[in-house]
Amino acid sequence: MVKKLIFIYLFFFFVLSAAMSYADEGALAPLLAELKLAAAETETLSSHFSQEKYLNIFAEKLISEGRFAYQRPDRLRWELLSPVASGFVLRGGKGERWNSLSQERTSFSVKSDPIMGMIAQQLLAWARVDIDWLQNRYRMELQSTEPVMLRLYPLDQGEATFIEYLQIRFSDDRRHVAEVLMVEQGGDSTLIRFVDAKINTELAADAFQVPEF
Amino acid sequence: MGLIAAFYRYFQLRRGWLVLLLLLLLAVAGWNISHLKIEESIAAMLPDGESQVAHDFQLLQKAPFARQLVIHITAAAEIDSDELLAATERLRLALPAELFNHPLSGPGEMVASPLINQIGDYLPELIDAADLQTIAAQLSPEQIDHRLAADLAQLLQPQGMVLKEKIRRDPLQLERLALQKLSYLNPIPQVQLENGHFLSRDGRSSLILADTPVQITDAVGGKALLAAFSVACLQLPDGIRAELISGHPYTLANAETIQGDMKLVLLISGIGILLLFFLFLRSIRALFVYLLPLFSMAVALVVAKSWFGTLSGITVGFGAVLLGITIDFGLHVYFALRYGQCKQGREQLLRAVSRPVLFGGLTTIAAFAVLLSSELPGQRQLAVFAIAGIVTALLLALLFLPHFIGSGDKAESSSKWQLRRHVYDRQPVLRIGVLLLWLLVVTFAAVQAQSLSINAELRQLSYLPPELQQAEQHLGDTWGDMRSRALVFASASNLEGVLQRNELVWQRLKNHGLLAGVVSLAPLFPSQQTQQQRLQAWEDFWQQHQATARDLVQLSGQKYGFSAAAFAPFWERLNRPVTLLDQDIIKSWGLSRALDSLLLVSDQGYQLLTLIPDQPELINTLDAEFSKFPGITLVSQHHFSQQLSHEIGADFSRFISFAGIAVVVLLLLLFRRLPEVLLALLPVLTGLLVMFGGMSWLGLEMNLFNVVASILIIGLGVDYGIFMVCHGQQEEDLASSRAILVSGLTTLVGFGALVLARHPALHSIGLTVLLGISAAVPTAVLVIPAFRPKRH
Repeated sequence: MVKKLIFIYLFFFFVLSAAMSYADEGALAPLLAELKLAAAETETLSSHFSQEKYLNIFAEKLISEGRFAYQRPDRLRWELLSPVASGFVLRGGKGERWNSLSQERTSFSVKSDPIMGMIAQQLLAWARVDIDWLQNRYRMELQSTEPVMLRLYPLDQGEATFIEYLQIRFSDDRRHVAEVLMVEQGGDSTLIRFVDAKINTELAADAFQVPEF
Repeated sequence: MGLIAAFYRYFQLRRGWLVLLLLLLLAVAGWNISHLKIEESIAAMLPDGESQVAHDFQLLQKAPFARQLVIHITAAAEIDSDELLAATERLRLALPAELFNHPLSGPGEMVASPLINQIGDYLPELIDAADLQTIAAQLSPEQIDHRLAADLAQLLQPQGMVLKEKIRRDPLQLERLALQKLSYLNPIPQVQLENGHFLSRDGRSSLILADTPVQITDAVGGKALLAAFSVACLQLPDGIRAELISGHPYTLANAETIQGDMKLVLLISGIGILLLFFLFLRSIRALFVYLLPLFSMAVALVVAKSWFGTLSGITVGFGAVLLGITIDFGLHVYFALRYGQCKQGREQLLRAVSRPVLFGGLTTIAAFAVLLSSELPGQRQLAVFAIAGIVTALLLALLFLPHFIGSGDKAESSSKWQLRRHVYDRQPVLRIGVLLLWLLVVTFAAVQAQSLSINAELRQLSYLPPELQQAEQHLGDTWGDMRSRALVFASASNLEGVLQRNELVWQRLKNHGLLAGVVSLAPLFPSQQTQQQRLQAWEDFWQQHQATARDLVQLSGQKYGFSAAAFAPFWERLNRPVTLLDQDIIKSWGLSRALDSLLLVSDQGYQLLTLIPDQPELINTLDAEFSKFPGITLVSQHHFSQQLSHEIGADFSRFISFAGIAVVVLLLLLFRRLPEVLLALLPVLTGLLVMFGGMSWLGLEMNLFNVVASILIIGLGVDYGIFMVCHGQQEEDLASSRAILVSGLTTLVGFGALVLARHPALHSIGLTVLLGISAAVPTAVLVIPAFRPKRH
């Protein structure tokens, strides 16, 4: 399940523009190859995002905002700015989490923290746009080409009992993911929209550091 | 003596019958020996029986890692942990299943274990009074608000999707209290888990734990185990090495070292004995004297086999060496009959020599007989073996040998050896000088002997190869104290009883604030009685706090946008009827291995182990406390060594006392005069004093094998004393000085060569005999005549 979530985030980070017609495997393959090629040129990526969660556990739709950053080969920042400032940074195999509300800051290793390990694995796989790996884990359907929209169904039984599908929409110029919809089996869903994406721009020196509380 | 003379007379003309009898004896012995079953194990040299030491020793063998194979894999600096763990997995899979049972490189991915999802269901049974206080403190408005805010933050993060259901079940994170109990099941102090594998904190080492059907004391099985391990290690890439830490490499190293030592010692002894033969005997007939120990050993093996069924290899090896002393009886008979002088002829010579030989043999038998009461089965086997061998040697020396060594050479009889008897008459100063020197040596030895200490460390008796010691040190440095913690055993006839006693142990440790480094099942597996009590306390607690807690959770939940039913699973679980924890549930959580290593079931009932740091002061305090409770026993290596040391000291005192009494009684029977008895005791007392003093002076400590060697010194020393005192008393010249000198030199060559052995036990035997006999022989040959010259 976490893997799916990461998948969504990373699609956004690393998959760039492509052209595609219908949900035709013959058309999908060259499109994926094109996305991979474009992703290979990405050194840095940064964006703001808004996240809408439709979860039974919440009384109503919960909206949050944040930002993310990626730097090749293995640095990431995922940060919520509201309603609760929190997030994590990843530097290779090590990372730190923070929560400004509880004033907690904890280190983790992707190898000793199984959940963060799975997240990191997914993020890095998508960063490299490993098409073989993706096709091993998901069945892909091309929903539309203008804009490019893919729907991914997990092949793994464990993941499939948890996640129904992921839907990824690319930006008009196909250089980054613009929107991710994750639909869970129980009906809960999460929609993330990425805005103001910047590719290969210089990132702040502290982009992968934990902020001061 | 008359009987011996009569026997000699009767068979003087019927030697063929004797030869036939000997051949028959050899055939029977040979057939028996060919069916002899030798146990290649050191178990015989470890305590058995009902003593406290034997009991503790058996308990120590039940320590979790004492029964397991520990494979320590280490990577070079340039190799990352992924590569190390991959190599570890390859090695694990390459280990042959028939020798390495259930190899485990870690607990696996804990997220996949039902433990994480289920442990919260058993909170009521696991939460104790202190935990309830903690929960009460967490039910304040501020704490609940803080907790729900943290939940919200988690849900908004990527990992929130994984944690959503868990947060619904446990918004206040009460399950943490139950999960903390798991930490007391970790027997490896400095371990971290990486991808479900054991990994050291520096990321350079991993572990594989395995069971094995091969007994630690089984040298042959151990060799096969180590060979299989070496083959499996071929799977490891360059830069990664693996070490097997268990008792097996030690057993094998010891067996191989003993084999190597015996080759060296036998070579040197053989050359030495040949030299002695050419220097002092120079007769083909003397070969019969050298055959005597071989005959004695063959019979001793048959007797010991009939007595014990299976014999320890150590007993046979050591016993065979011990029976080398039986050559002494033959030498005395040989020298008396070949070089002795007596007007009444050969039969009278035999009659005269048979008295000291017989009494010498009896005192040696008496000395070895005290070993029959030893705690060590090997020493008891040794006693039977030695006694049977000595009896055989006596019979052969007195009844058979006289017929095969021919008559004496008159020219040799008046050799220079006779002159020494008179040297003190001719040079009185020499007599004074010898006595003064003896007094000086004895005084020095007596002073030194007072500081001799006993070392009961069993490991000191074994050969400890430096590389194995380094591997063990490396393991301890990397992972913490895994293998030498003290054990507290709770015992009972049923599971409930043993769980209750285990809780008592836990509670006592808790009262002392000694829970750091403790491994116990008590926090995770309470007794049914305790679970019932806790259930009641849990219900009472929530009856008192649930309404308020609900309101506060509702209020804060609304503030952070949670729905009214968000935490319905939490409240449902709180009020759901619960089932009590049992073994099956704990096993279903993937904790079978931990459970099996701590909970031992046998025909006698149940035992539960608690592992605690082996700190002497702590152990002494707790031992006094736990000894008040029935069914609770504390054992530790430190404590065991102390006990064993005390036992060895007590055993040794007992052996020496019993042997001393037996020897003195026999000497009184023989000489019937105190001065003669005291004279006869001079060699043995001097030998023992020099042995103790010399060991102390050399900085050595007394160990188990020295005890056996001391008995040997007693047996031989008394023999020398008896012969010299008889020599002084009797009219016949039995060539005793010469016989004692050759006998002493033979013993020194045979046993003293052991000083060259690498194995500490053999080395210590060699050294003690070297010291003891080196003092006993000159005392017999020079000091006794100086005190009491031969009557003419």
